[in-house]
Amino acid sequence: MLHNKLNDRIAIAVFTLPAVVLFTTVVVYPVLKTVYTSLLDWDGLSQPSFMMFGNYMRLFGDPDFHLAVKNGLIFAAVLVIYQIGLGSVFALILSNRRIAGKRFFRTAYFVPVVLSITVVCQLWLSIFNADRGLLNNLFHALGLTYRQSWLSSGKTAIVSVAFVNAWQYLGIHFSLIYAAIKSIPDHYYEAALIDGASSFTAHCKITIPLLAETYRFCLIIAITGGLKAFENMYIMTGGGPGNLTYTLTYLIYKAAFRMNQYGYACASASVLLLQCLVFTVLINRLIAHERVTY
Amino acid sequence: MKGQQDHQGYVPVSRTAAPTHRRGVAGGRLRRVSGIALYTLLSFYAFCNLYPLFWMVSNSFKNNQEIFVRNVFGLPRIWRFENYIKAWQSFNIFLYFKNSMIVATATVVITLMLSIMFAYATARMSWKLSSIARIYMSIGMFVPVQVIFIPLVLLIRDFHLSNSYLALIVPYVAFQLSFCSIVFYGFFRTLPPELEEAAAIDGANVYVTFYRIILPLVKPAIATLAIFVFLFSWNEFAIALIMISNNSLKTLPLGLLLFQGQFATDWGAMGASLALASIPTIVVYLLFGNEVEKALTVGSAVKG
Repeated sequence: MLHNKLNDRIAIAVFTLPAVVLFTTVVVYPVLKTVYTSLLDWDGLSQPSFMMFGNYMRLFGDPDFHLAVKNGLIFAAVLVIYQIGLGSVFALILSNRRIAGKRFFRTAYFVPVVLSITVVCQLWLSIFNADRGLLNNLFHALGLTYRQSWLSSGKTAIVSVAFVNAWQYLGIHFSLIYAAIKSIPDHYYEAALIDGASSFTAHCKITIPLLAETYRFCLIIAITGGLKAFENMYIMTGGGPGNLTYTLTYLIYKAAFRMNQYGYACASASVLLLQCLVFTVLINRLIAHERVTY
Repeated sequence: MKGQQDHQGYVPVSRTAAPTHRRGVAGGRLRRVSGIALYTLLSFYAFCNLYPLFWMVSNSFKNNQEIFVRNVFGLPRIWRFENYIKAWQSFNIFLYFKNSMIVATATVVITLMLSIMFAYATARMSWKLSSIARIYMSIGMFVPVQVIFIPLVLLIRDFHLSNSYLALIVPYVAFQLSFCSIVFYGFFRTLPPELEEAAAIDGANVYVTFYRIILPLVKPAIATLAIFVFLFSWNEFAIALIMISNNSLKTLPLGLLLFQGQFATDWGAMGASLALASIPTIVVYLLFGNEVEKALTVGSAVKG
Protein backbone atom coordinates (compact mmCIF):
# COMPACT_ATOMS: atom_id res chain seq x y z
CA MET A 1 0.00 0.00 0.00
CA LEU A 2 2.73 2.40 1.01
CA HIS A 3 4.69 1.33 -1.99
CA ASN A 4 1.71 2.15 -4.22
CA LYS A 5 1.41 5.63 -2.75
CA LEU A 6 5.04 6.33 -3.53
CA ASN A 7 4.58 5.06 -7.06
CA ASP A 8 1.60 7.36 -7.50
CA ARG A 9 3.60 10.31 -6.30
CA ILE A 10 6.37 9.57 -8.74
CA ALA A 11 3.86 9.20 -11.56
CA ILE A 12 2.25 12.53 -10.72
CA ALA A 13 5.64 14.21 -10.71
CA VAL A 14 6.58 12.64 -14.03
CA PHE A 15 3.34 13.82 -15.60
CA THR A 16 3.17 17.34 -14.23
CA LEU A 17 6.69 18.57 -13.55
CA PRO A 18 7.88 19.12 -17.13
CA ALA A 19 4.92 21.40 -17.87
CA VAL A 20 5.00 23.16 -14.50
CA VAL A 21 8.76 23.82 -14.62
CA LEU A 22 8.67 25.17 -18.16
CA PHE A 23 5.59 27.31 -17.50
CA THR A 24 7.03 28.71 -14.27
CA THR A 25 10.39 29.56 -15.84
CA VAL A 26 9.12 31.07 -19.07
CA VAL A 27 5.80 32.68 -18.07
CA VAL A 28 5.33 33.13 -14.31
CA TYR A 29 8.86 34.08 -13.33
CA PRO A 30 9.14 36.69 -16.12
CA VAL A 31 5.81 38.24 -15.05
CA LEU A 32 7.11 38.70 -11.52
CA LYS A 33 10.37 40.00 -12.89
CA THR A 34 8.52 42.55 -15.02
CA VAL A 35 6.75 43.90 -11.95
CA TYR A 36 10.03 44.00 -10.02
CA THR A 37 11.96 45.63 -12.87
CA SER A 38 9.31 48.32 -13.10
CA LEU A 39 10.64 49.59 -9.77
CA LEU A 40 14.20 49.90 -11.09
CA ASP A 41 16.12 52.52 -12.97
CA TRP A 42 17.83 50.26 -15.48
CA ASP A 43 19.11 50.46 -19.05
CA GLY A 44 19.81 46.74 -19.32
CA LEU A 45 23.58 47.15 -19.15
CA SER A 46 24.70 49.13 -16.12
CA GLN A 47 23.98 48.33 -12.50
CA PRO A 48 20.23 48.79 -11.85
CA SER A 49 19.24 51.12 -9.01
CA PHE A 50 16.03 50.92 -7.03
CA MET A 51 13.70 53.87 -7.47
CA MET A 52 10.31 52.72 -6.13
CA PHE A 53 7.51 54.31 -8.14
CA GLY A 54 9.67 56.70 -10.13
CA ASN A 55 8.92 54.95 -13.41
CA TYR A 56 5.19 55.07 -12.72
CA MET A 57 5.34 58.76 -11.83
CA ARG A 58 7.09 59.45 -15.10
CA LEU A 59 4.66 57.21 -16.96
CA PHE A 60 1.55 58.91 -15.59
CA GLY A 61 2.98 62.26 -16.57
CA ASP A 62 3.87 61.13 -20.08
CA PRO A 63 1.39 62.37 -22.73
CA ASP A 64 2.30 59.33 -24.86
CA PHE A 65 1.04 57.11 -22.06
CA HIS A 66 -2.34 58.83 -21.91
CA LEU A 67 -2.68 58.55 -25.65
CA ALA A 68 -1.62 54.90 -25.51
CA VAL A 69 -4.24 54.03 -22.90
CA LYS A 70 -6.90 55.88 -24.86
CA ASN A 71 -5.92 54.12 -28.09
CA GLY A 72 -5.96 50.74 -26.36
CA LEU A 73 -9.52 51.37 -25.22
CA ILE A 74 -10.56 52.58 -28.68
CA PHE A 75 -8.97 49.48 -30.19
CA ALA A 76 -10.85 47.24 -27.75
CA ALA A 77 -14.13 49.07 -28.40
CA VAL A 78 -13.77 48.65 -32.17
CA LEU A 79 -13.16 44.92 -31.72
CA VAL A 80 -16.14 44.48 -29.41
CA ILE A 81 -18.56 46.38 -31.62
CA TYR A 82 -17.39 44.96 -34.92
CA GLN A 83 -16.56 41.38 -34.02
CA ILE A 84 -19.21 40.59 -31.44
CA GLY A 85 -21.87 42.80 -33.04
CA LEU A 86 -21.49 41.66 -36.64
CA GLY A 87 -20.47 38.16 -35.56
CA SER A 88 -23.78 37.79 -33.69
CA VAL A 89 -25.83 39.10 -36.60
CA PHE A 90 -24.28 36.68 -39.09
CA ALA A 91 -24.37 33.75 -36.67
CA LEU A 92 -28.07 34.33 -35.95
CA ILE A 93 -28.93 34.57 -39.64
CA LEU A 94 -26.92 31.50 -40.59
CA SER A 95 -28.39 29.43 -37.77
CA ASN A 96 -31.72 29.59 -39.60
CA ARG A 97 -32.20 26.25 -41.30
CA ARG A 98 -33.77 27.76 -44.34
CA ILE A 99 -30.68 29.69 -45.31
CA ALA A 100 -28.83 27.86 -48.07
CA GLY A 101 -25.12 28.03 -48.79
CA LYS A 102 -24.04 27.93 -45.14
CA ARG A 103 -20.76 26.22 -45.96
CA PHE A 104 -19.82 29.00 -48.39
CA PHE A 105 -20.67 31.86 -46.03
CA ARG A 106 -18.92 30.27 -43.07
CA THR A 107 -15.79 29.71 -45.12
CA ALA A 108 -15.87 33.26 -46.47
CA TYR A 109 -16.20 34.72 -42.98
CA PHE A 110 -13.49 32.57 -41.53
CA VAL A 111 -10.78 32.60 -44.17
CA PRO A 112 -8.89 35.75 -43.06
CA VAL A 113 -8.35 34.18 -39.63
CA VAL A 114 -5.90 31.66 -40.99
CA LEU A 115 -3.81 34.23 -42.87
CA SER A 116 -0.60 35.59 -41.44
CA ILE A 117 -1.06 38.95 -39.76
CA THR A 118 1.77 40.31 -41.93
CA VAL A 119 -0.15 39.39 -45.07
CA VAL A 120 -3.34 41.00 -43.83
CA CYS A 121 -1.59 44.18 -42.69
CA GLN A 122 0.31 44.56 -45.96
CA LEU A 123 -2.86 43.95 -47.92
CA TRP A 124 -4.75 46.63 -46.02
CA LEU A 125 -1.80 49.00 -46.28
CA SER A 126 -2.27 48.91 -50.02
CA ILE A 127 -6.05 49.14 -49.72
CA PHE A 128 -5.76 52.19 -47.44
CA ASN A 129 -3.00 53.82 -49.50
CA ALA A 130 -4.03 57.44 -49.94
CA ASP A 131 -2.99 57.91 -53.58
CA ARG A 132 -3.36 54.50 -55.13
CA GLY A 133 -5.28 52.43 -52.63
CA LEU A 134 -8.34 50.37 -53.44
CA LEU A 135 -10.59 52.25 -51.06
CA ASN A 136 -9.99 55.74 -52.41
CA ASN A 137 -10.11 54.37 -55.95
CA LEU A 138 -13.46 52.85 -55.11
CA PHE A 139 -14.83 56.19 -53.93
CA HIS A 140 -13.45 57.76 -57.08
CA ALA A 141 -15.09 55.12 -59.29
CA LEU A 142 -18.40 55.71 -57.52
CA GLY A 143 -18.05 59.38 -58.34
CA LEU A 144 -17.60 60.41 -54.71
CA THR A 145 -15.05 62.96 -53.67
CA TYR A 146 -14.71 61.30 -50.27
CA ARG A 147 -10.98 60.60 -50.20
CA GLN A 148 -9.20 60.01 -46.93
CA SER A 149 -5.62 59.55 -45.93
CA TRP A 150 -6.81 56.67 -43.78
CA LEU A 151 -3.61 55.86 -41.93
CA SER A 152 -1.98 59.25 -41.77
CA SER A 153 -4.78 61.41 -40.47
CA GLY A 154 -5.16 61.75 -36.73
CA LYS A 155 -8.89 61.19 -36.82
CA THR A 156 -8.97 57.91 -38.72
CA ALA A 157 -5.59 56.27 -38.07
CA ILE A 158 -6.25 54.27 -34.90
CA VAL A 159 -9.74 53.24 -35.98
CA SER A 160 -8.47 52.13 -39.39
CA VAL A 161 -5.73 50.05 -37.78
CA ALA A 162 -8.17 48.53 -35.30
CA PHE A 163 -10.58 47.82 -38.13
CA VAL A 164 -7.98 45.65 -39.87
CA ASN A 165 -7.63 43.50 -36.76
CA ALA A 166 -11.40 43.36 -36.33
CA TRP A 167 -11.85 42.37 -39.98
CA GLN A 168 -9.25 39.62 -39.79
CA TYR A 169 -10.53 37.94 -36.63
CA LEU A 170 -14.30 38.39 -36.96
CA GLY A 171 -14.42 34.73 -37.99
CA ILE A 172 -13.36 33.52 -34.56
CA HIS A 173 -16.21 35.31 -32.82
CA PHE A 174 -18.65 34.35 -35.53
CA SER A 175 -17.71 30.67 -35.15
CA LEU A 176 -17.88 30.78 -31.35
CA ILE A 177 -21.34 32.31 -31.38
CA TYR A 178 -22.53 30.11 -34.24
CA ALA A 179 -21.41 26.93 -32.44
CA ALA A 180 -23.14 28.10 -29.26
CA ILE A 181 -26.44 28.81 -31.05
CA LYS A 182 -26.28 25.40 -32.72
CA SER A 183 -26.01 23.76 -29.32
CA ILE A 184 -29.31 25.22 -28.08
CA PRO A 185 -31.97 22.47 -28.22
CA ASP A 186 -34.68 23.00 -30.82
CA HIS A 187 -37.60 22.46 -28.48
CA TYR A 188 -36.84 25.77 -26.81
CA TYR A 189 -37.87 27.45 -30.03
CA GLU A 190 -40.79 25.19 -30.74
CA ALA A 191 -42.31 26.23 -27.48
CA ALA A 192 -41.81 29.92 -28.22
CA LEU A 193 -43.19 29.67 -31.74
CA ILE A 194 -46.27 27.88 -30.64
CA ASP A 195 -46.82 30.67 -28.16
CA GLY A 196 -46.82 32.95 -31.20
CA ALA A 197 -43.42 34.59 -30.85
CA SER A 198 -41.75 36.01 -33.97
CA SER A 199 -38.28 34.79 -34.76
CA PHE A 200 -36.88 38.16 -33.72
CA THR A 201 -38.54 37.95 -30.30
CA ALA A 202 -37.47 34.33 -29.98
CA HIS A 203 -33.84 35.32 -30.52
CA CYS A 204 -34.04 38.24 -28.10
CA LYS A 205 -35.76 36.24 -25.40
CA ILE A 206 -34.17 32.81 -25.86
CA THR A 207 -30.98 32.80 -27.89
CA ILE A 208 -29.19 35.85 -26.52
CA PRO A 209 -29.71 35.04 -22.81
CA LEU A 210 -28.57 31.45 -23.38
CA LEU A 211 -25.40 32.73 -25.00
CA ALA A 212 -24.29 34.59 -21.88
CA GLU A 213 -21.31 32.32 -21.30
CA THR A 214 -20.18 32.53 -24.89
CA TYR A 215 -20.49 36.30 -24.82
CA ARG A 216 -18.44 36.40 -21.65
CA PHE A 217 -15.66 34.53 -23.37
CA CYS A 218 -15.94 36.62 -26.54
CA LEU A 219 -15.84 39.84 -24.53
CA ILE A 220 -12.73 38.76 -22.69
CA ILE A 221 -10.83 37.85 -25.83
CA ALA A 222 -12.03 40.93 -27.72
CA ILE A 223 -11.17 43.40 -24.96
CA THR A 224 -7.85 41.88 -23.91
CA GLY A 225 -7.10 41.34 -27.62
CA GLY A 226 -7.61 45.05 -28.21
CA LEU A 227 -5.53 46.07 -25.21
CA LYS A 228 -2.61 43.87 -26.18
CA ALA A 229 -2.74 44.48 -29.96
CA PHE A 230 0.73 45.18 -31.25
CA GLU A 231 1.46 43.72 -34.68
CA ASN A 232 -1.04 45.92 -36.50
CA MET A 233 0.60 49.10 -35.21
CA TYR A 234 4.10 47.78 -35.73
CA ILE A 235 3.52 46.78 -39.35
CA MET A 236 1.06 49.40 -40.52
CA THR A 237 1.91 52.68 -38.84
CA GLY A 238 4.98 52.28 -36.65
CA GLY A 239 3.01 54.13 -34.00
CA GLY A 240 2.61 57.11 -36.31
CA PRO A 241 1.68 59.53 -37.64
CA GLY A 242 3.75 61.09 -34.88
CA ASN A 243 2.59 59.20 -31.83
CA LEU A 244 -1.08 58.98 -32.77
CA THR A 245 -1.36 55.19 -32.93
CA TYR A 246 0.73 54.43 -29.86
CA THR A 247 -0.65 51.74 -27.61
CA LEU A 248 0.77 50.39 -24.37
CA THR A 249 2.30 47.46 -26.22
CA TYR A 250 3.98 49.78 -28.66
CA LEU A 251 5.20 51.93 -25.78
CA ILE A 252 6.70 48.82 -24.17
CA TYR A 253 8.40 47.80 -27.39
CA LYS A 254 9.80 51.24 -28.05
CA ALA A 255 11.04 51.88 -24.52
CA ALA A 256 12.61 48.44 -24.30
CA PHE A 257 14.19 47.87 -27.68
CA ARG A 258 14.67 51.32 -29.15
CA MET A 259 15.55 53.35 -26.04
CA ASN A 260 16.85 50.70 -23.63
CA GLN A 261 14.73 52.02 -20.78
CA TYR A 262 13.98 48.66 -19.22
CA GLY A 263 12.47 49.95 -16.00
CA TYR A 264 10.18 52.34 -17.85
CA ALA A 265 9.13 49.64 -20.32
CA CYS A 266 8.33 47.26 -17.47
CA ALA A 267 6.23 49.92 -15.76
CA SER A 268 4.01 50.24 -18.84
CA ALA A 269 3.97 46.44 -19.13
CA SER A 270 2.71 46.22 -15.55
CA VAL A 271 -0.06 48.70 -16.33
CA LEU A 272 -1.04 46.59 -19.34
CA LEU A 273 -1.11 43.46 -17.20
CA LEU A 274 -3.26 45.20 -14.60
CA GLN A 275 -5.67 46.45 -17.29
CA CYS A 276 -6.14 42.95 -18.69
CA LEU A 277 -6.68 41.48 -15.23
CA VAL A 278 -9.20 44.14 -14.23
CA PHE A 279 -11.25 43.67 -17.40
CA THR A 280 -11.16 39.88 -17.10
CA VAL A 281 -12.30 39.94 -13.48
CA LEU A 282 -14.98 42.57 -14.19
CA ILE A 283 -16.43 40.65 -17.12
CA ASN A 284 -16.41 37.43 -15.12
CA ARG A 285 -18.24 39.19 -12.30
CA LEU A 286 -20.81 40.90 -14.46
CA ILE A 287 -21.81 38.20 -16.91
CA ALA A 288 -23.04 34.64 -16.59
CA HIS A 289 -22.63 33.89 -12.96
CA GLU A 290 -24.56 30.71 -13.24
CA ARG A 291 -23.60 28.06 -15.69
CA VAL A 292 -26.26 27.45 -18.33
CA THR A 293 -27.28 23.83 -18.69
CA TYR A 294 -29.85 22.42 -21.03
CA MET B 1 -37.20 18.69 -15.67
CA LYS B 2 -39.96 21.11 -16.37
CA GLY B 3 -38.51 21.89 -19.79
CA GLN B 4 -38.60 18.27 -20.66
CA GLN B 5 -42.24 17.92 -19.75
CA ASP B 6 -43.07 20.94 -21.83
CA HIS B 7 -41.20 19.47 -24.71
CA GLN B 8 -43.04 16.20 -24.56
CA GLY B 9 -46.32 17.96 -24.23
CA TYR B 10 -45.71 20.09 -27.29
CA VAL B 11 -44.47 17.56 -29.79
CA PRO B 12 -47.84 16.27 -30.98
CA VAL B 13 -49.18 19.80 -31.30
CA SER B 14 -46.38 20.97 -33.53
CA ARG B 15 -46.74 17.89 -35.69
CA THR B 16 -50.41 18.27 -36.36
CA ALA B 17 -51.23 21.91 -36.12
CA ALA B 18 -48.13 23.68 -37.36
CA PRO B 19 -46.17 21.71 -39.91
CA THR B 20 -44.34 24.81 -41.12
CA HIS B 21 -42.89 25.27 -37.66
CA ARG B 22 -40.73 22.18 -37.99
CA ARG B 23 -37.57 22.36 -35.93
CA GLY B 24 -35.88 25.31 -37.68
CA VAL B 25 -34.21 27.76 -35.31
CA ALA B 26 -36.65 30.63 -35.13
CA GLY B 27 -38.85 28.46 -37.26
CA GLY B 28 -41.36 30.15 -39.54
CA ARG B 29 -41.00 30.21 -43.30
CA LEU B 30 -38.71 32.91 -44.59
CA ARG B 31 -40.82 35.48 -46.26
CA ARG B 32 -39.52 36.43 -49.69
CA VAL B 33 -38.66 40.02 -48.80
CA SER B 34 -36.82 39.25 -45.61
CA GLY B 35 -35.13 36.32 -47.36
CA ILE B 36 -33.74 38.62 -50.02
CA ALA B 37 -32.64 41.12 -47.41
CA LEU B 38 -30.82 38.45 -45.39
CA TYR B 39 -29.06 36.98 -48.41
CA THR B 40 -28.03 40.45 -49.52
CA LEU B 41 -26.53 41.16 -46.13
CA LEU B 42 -24.71 37.83 -45.96
CA SER B 43 -23.42 38.15 -49.50
CA PHE B 44 -22.30 41.72 -49.00
CA TYR B 45 -20.11 40.77 -46.08
CA ALA B 46 -18.79 37.67 -47.85
CA PHE B 47 -17.81 40.05 -50.64
CA CYS B 48 -16.10 42.39 -48.14
CA ASN B 49 -14.05 39.43 -46.94
CA LEU B 50 -13.24 37.78 -50.23
CA TYR B 51 -12.75 40.72 -52.56
CA PRO B 52 -9.60 42.05 -50.82
CA LEU B 53 -8.09 38.59 -51.19
CA PHE B 54 -9.13 38.43 -54.84
CA TRP B 55 -7.65 41.89 -55.34
CA MET B 56 -4.38 40.77 -53.76
CA VAL B 57 -4.13 37.74 -56.04
CA SER B 58 -5.09 39.64 -59.17
CA ASN B 59 -2.56 42.37 -58.33
CA SER B 60 0.09 39.71 -58.14
CA PHE B 61 -0.32 39.23 -61.91
CA LYS B 62 -0.35 42.92 -62.81
CA ASN B 63 2.26 45.64 -63.15
CA ASN B 64 2.04 48.97 -61.34
CA GLN B 65 0.53 50.70 -64.38
CA GLU B 66 -2.42 48.34 -64.34
CA ILE B 67 -2.84 48.29 -60.55
CA PHE B 68 -2.82 52.06 -60.13
CA VAL B 69 -4.44 53.46 -63.22
CA ARG B 70 -5.71 51.30 -65.98
CA ASN B 71 -7.34 48.34 -64.34
CA VAL B 72 -7.76 48.86 -60.65
CA PHE B 73 -10.54 46.44 -59.81
CA GLY B 74 -10.69 43.54 -62.24
CA LEU B 75 -8.74 40.52 -63.39
CA PRO B 76 -5.38 41.25 -65.03
CA ARG B 77 -5.49 41.79 -68.81
CA ILE B 78 -2.06 40.26 -69.27
CA TRP B 79 -1.10 37.61 -66.77
CA ARG B 80 2.39 38.52 -65.63
CA PHE B 81 3.84 35.43 -64.05
CA GLU B 82 7.18 37.21 -63.88
CA ASN B 83 6.01 38.76 -60.59
CA TYR B 84 6.07 35.32 -59.05
CA ILE B 85 9.48 34.57 -60.51
CA LYS B 86 10.77 37.83 -59.10
CA ALA B 87 9.24 37.14 -55.69
CA TRP B 88 10.56 33.59 -55.67
CA GLN B 89 14.07 34.67 -56.61
CA SER B 90 14.57 37.67 -54.38
CA PHE B 91 12.34 36.66 -51.49
CA ASN B 92 13.97 33.67 -49.90
CA ILE B 93 10.63 32.04 -49.40
CA PHE B 94 11.89 28.49 -49.16
CA LEU B 95 14.12 29.40 -46.22
CA TYR B 96 11.27 31.08 -44.33
CA PHE B 97 8.95 28.17 -45.07
CA LYS B 98 11.55 25.78 -43.70
CA ASN B 99 12.07 27.87 -40.55
CA SER B 100 8.34 28.22 -39.91
CA MET B 101 7.81 24.55 -40.52
CA ILE B 102 10.55 23.48 -38.09
CA VAL B 103 9.39 25.86 -35.37
CA ALA B 104 5.69 25.04 -35.79
CA THR B 105 6.20 21.28 -35.88
CA ALA B 106 8.44 21.23 -32.83
CA THR B 107 6.04 23.51 -30.95
CA VAL B 108 3.06 21.28 -31.74
CA VAL B 109 4.80 18.07 -30.66
CA ILE B 110 6.25 19.40 -27.42
CA THR B 111 3.16 21.41 -26.41
CA LEU B 112 0.81 18.49 -26.93
CA MET B 113 3.05 16.04 -25.06
CA LEU B 114 3.50 18.26 -22.03
CA SER B 115 -0.09 19.44 -21.83
CA ILE B 116 -1.63 15.98 -22.27
CA MET B 117 0.50 14.59 -19.46
CA PHE B 118 -0.23 17.54 -17.21
CA ALA B 119 -3.97 17.46 -17.92
CA TYR B 120 -4.07 13.72 -17.34
CA ALA B 121 -2.52 14.04 -13.90
CA THR B 122 -4.84 16.89 -12.88
CA ALA B 123 -8.01 15.35 -14.32
CA ARG B 124 -7.70 11.67 -13.47
CA MET B 125 -5.32 11.21 -10.57
CA SER B 126 -6.28 12.26 -7.08
CA TRP B 127 -3.74 14.34 -5.22
CA LYS B 128 -3.98 17.22 -2.87
CA LEU B 129 -2.70 20.06 -5.03
CA SER B 130 -4.29 18.98 -8.28
CA SER B 131 -6.86 21.77 -8.61
CA ILE B 132 -4.33 24.38 -7.51
CA ALA B 133 -1.92 23.11 -10.15
CA ARG B 134 -4.65 23.30 -12.76
CA ILE B 135 -5.59 26.87 -11.89
CA TYR B 136 -1.93 27.88 -11.72
CA MET B 137 -1.39 26.58 -15.23
CA SER B 138 -4.38 28.50 -16.59
CA ILE B 139 -2.90 31.87 -15.56
CA GLY B 140 -1.07 31.88 -18.89
CA MET B 141 -4.36 32.51 -20.69
CA PHE B 142 -4.51 36.00 -19.26
CA VAL B 143 -0.90 37.15 -19.61
CA PRO B 144 -0.25 39.17 -22.76
CA VAL B 145 3.11 38.15 -24.15
CA GLN B 146 4.17 41.79 -24.47
CA VAL B 147 4.14 42.07 -20.67
CA ILE B 148 7.16 39.80 -20.43
CA PHE B 149 9.11 41.03 -23.47
CA ILE B 150 12.14 42.14 -21.48
CA PRO B 151 12.51 39.27 -18.99
CA LEU B 152 11.94 36.81 -21.83
CA VAL B 153 14.74 38.25 -23.93
CA LEU B 154 17.07 38.18 -20.92
CA LEU B 155 16.03 34.64 -20.04
CA ILE B 156 16.68 33.32 -23.54
CA ARG B 157 20.04 35.08 -23.53
CA ASP B 158 21.00 33.63 -20.15
CA PHE B 159 20.19 30.13 -21.39
CA HIS B 160 22.32 30.83 -24.50
CA LEU B 161 19.41 30.17 -26.81
CA SER B 162 19.48 33.52 -28.62
CA ASN B 163 19.23 33.22 -32.38
CA SER B 164 18.30 29.59 -32.45
CA TYR B 165 15.02 27.83 -33.18
CA LEU B 166 14.69 27.17 -29.46
CA ALA B 167 14.45 30.92 -28.81
CA LEU B 168 11.02 30.65 -30.46
CA ILE B 169 9.99 27.11 -29.61
CA VAL B 170 10.47 27.45 -25.84
CA PRO B 171 8.24 30.56 -25.42
CA TYR B 172 5.67 29.25 -27.91
CA VAL B 173 5.31 26.01 -25.97
CA ALA B 174 5.14 27.77 -22.63
CA PHE B 175 2.43 30.14 -23.85
CA GLN B 176 0.31 27.43 -25.45
CA LEU B 177 0.49 25.12 -22.42
CA SER B 178 -2.30 26.90 -20.54
CA PHE B 179 -4.88 26.69 -23.25
CA CYS B 180 -4.07 23.12 -24.28
CA SER B 181 -4.05 21.88 -20.68
CA ILE B 182 -7.48 23.37 -20.08
CA VAL B 183 -8.96 21.80 -23.19
CA PHE B 184 -7.43 18.38 -22.50
CA TYR B 185 -8.59 18.59 -18.90
CA GLY B 186 -12.15 19.10 -20.08
CA PHE B 187 -11.78 16.17 -22.42
CA PHE B 188 -10.35 13.81 -19.81
CA ARG B 189 -13.17 14.60 -17.44
CA THR B 190 -15.70 13.26 -19.91
CA LEU B 191 -14.14 9.78 -19.97
CA PRO B 192 -15.67 7.20 -17.59
CA PRO B 193 -13.62 6.57 -14.40
CA GLU B 194 -13.81 2.79 -14.85
CA LEU B 195 -11.18 2.89 -17.57
CA GLU B 196 -8.22 2.99 -15.22
CA GLU B 197 -9.79 0.59 -12.75
CA ALA B 198 -10.20 -2.03 -15.45
CA ALA B 199 -6.64 -1.52 -16.59
CA ALA B 200 -5.33 -1.74 -13.02
CA ILE B 201 -7.14 -5.04 -12.51
CA ASP B 202 -5.42 -6.32 -15.65
CA GLY B 203 -2.16 -5.39 -13.98
CA ALA B 204 -1.18 -2.43 -16.19
CA ASN B 205 0.79 0.31 -14.44
CA VAL B 206 -0.13 3.97 -14.80
CA TYR B 207 2.22 4.68 -17.72
CA VAL B 208 1.00 1.73 -19.76
CA THR B 209 -2.60 2.67 -19.03
CA PHE B 210 -1.96 6.24 -20.11
CA TYR B 211 -0.19 5.27 -23.31
CA ARG B 212 -2.33 2.31 -24.40
CA ILE B 213 -5.80 3.24 -23.18
CA ILE B 214 -6.12 6.95 -22.55
CA LEU B 215 -4.11 8.43 -25.41
CA PRO B 216 -6.08 6.71 -28.18
CA LEU B 217 -9.30 8.05 -26.66
CA VAL B 218 -8.26 11.68 -26.85
CA LYS B 219 -7.17 11.55 -30.50
CA PRO B 220 -9.93 13.94 -31.65
CA ALA B 221 -8.80 16.56 -29.17
CA ILE B 222 -5.19 16.01 -30.20
CA ALA B 223 -6.05 16.60 -33.86
CA THR B 224 -7.97 19.77 -33.07
CA LEU B 225 -5.31 21.25 -30.82
CA ALA B 226 -2.50 20.25 -33.16
CA ILE B 227 -4.05 22.45 -35.85
CA PHE B 228 -4.63 25.26 -33.38
CA VAL B 229 -1.05 25.28 -32.09
CA PHE B 230 0.31 24.89 -35.61
CA LEU B 231 -1.58 27.93 -36.90
CA PHE B 232 -0.54 29.94 -33.86
CA SER B 233 3.17 29.24 -34.24
CA TRP B 234 3.08 29.55 -38.02
CA ASN B 235 1.60 33.05 -37.80
CA GLU B 236 3.15 34.29 -34.55
CA PHE B 237 4.80 37.67 -34.93
CA ALA B 238 5.67 39.49 -31.69
CA ILE B 239 7.96 36.92 -30.07
CA ALA B 240 9.66 36.19 -33.38
CA LEU B 241 10.28 39.92 -33.80
CA ILE B 242 12.12 40.37 -30.52
CA MET B 243 13.94 37.02 -30.47
CA ILE B 244 15.35 36.59 -33.95
CA SER B 245 17.72 39.10 -35.50
CA ASN B 246 19.54 36.61 -37.71
CA ASN B 247 17.94 36.69 -41.17
CA SER B 248 18.56 33.02 -41.85
CA LEU B 249 16.42 32.03 -38.84
CA LYS B 250 13.44 34.29 -39.47
CA THR B 251 10.01 32.74 -39.80
CA LEU B 252 7.58 33.56 -42.58
CA PRO B 253 5.76 36.56 -41.04
CA LEU B 254 9.08 38.33 -40.44
CA GLY B 255 10.72 37.28 -43.67
CA LEU B 256 7.73 38.66 -45.49
CA LEU B 257 8.14 41.99 -43.74
CA LEU B 258 11.77 42.13 -44.79
CA PHE B 259 10.77 41.53 -48.39
CA GLN B 260 8.07 44.19 -48.21
CA GLY B 261 10.69 46.70 -47.18
CA GLN B 262 12.74 46.03 -50.30
CA PHE B 263 9.85 45.92 -52.76
CA ALA B 264 7.62 48.63 -51.34
CA THR B 265 7.16 50.23 -54.75
CA ASP B 266 6.61 47.08 -56.79
CA TRP B 267 3.04 46.16 -55.91
CA GLY B 268 2.90 43.24 -58.31
CA ALA B 269 5.87 41.43 -56.78
CA MET B 270 4.59 42.35 -53.33
CA GLY B 271 1.20 40.79 -54.11
CA ALA B 272 2.95 37.69 -55.42
CA SER B 273 4.93 37.26 -52.20
CA LEU B 274 1.80 37.75 -50.09
CA ALA B 275 -0.07 35.17 -52.14
CA LEU B 276 2.81 32.68 -51.95
CA ALA B 277 3.06 33.11 -48.19
CA SER B 278 -0.67 32.50 -47.75
CA ILE B 279 -0.86 29.26 -49.70
CA PRO B 280 0.10 26.84 -46.88
CA THR B 281 -2.44 27.98 -44.31
CA ILE B 282 -5.19 28.39 -46.91
CA VAL B 283 -4.55 24.84 -48.10
CA VAL B 284 -4.61 23.58 -44.51
CA TYR B 285 -7.88 25.41 -43.99
CA LEU B 286 -9.53 24.12 -47.14
CA LEU B 287 -8.44 20.56 -46.39
CA PHE B 288 -9.33 20.53 -42.69
CA GLY B 289 -11.84 23.37 -42.65
CA ASN B 290 -14.11 21.85 -40.05
CA GLU B 291 -11.23 20.82 -37.85
CA VAL B 292 -9.68 24.28 -38.02
CA GLU B 293 -12.90 25.97 -37.00
CA LYS B 294 -13.38 23.47 -34.23
CA ALA B 295 -9.79 24.06 -33.18
CA LEU B 296 -10.32 27.76 -32.95
CA THR B 297 -13.64 27.47 -31.20
CA VAL B 298 -12.71 24.86 -28.62
CA GLY B 299 -12.23 27.96 -26.57
CA SER B 300 -15.97 27.98 -26.02
CA ALA B 301 -15.55 24.85 -23.92
CA VAL B 302 -12.92 26.60 -21.85
CA LYS B 303 -13.81 29.12 -19.20
CA GLY B 304 -13.24 27.83 -15.79
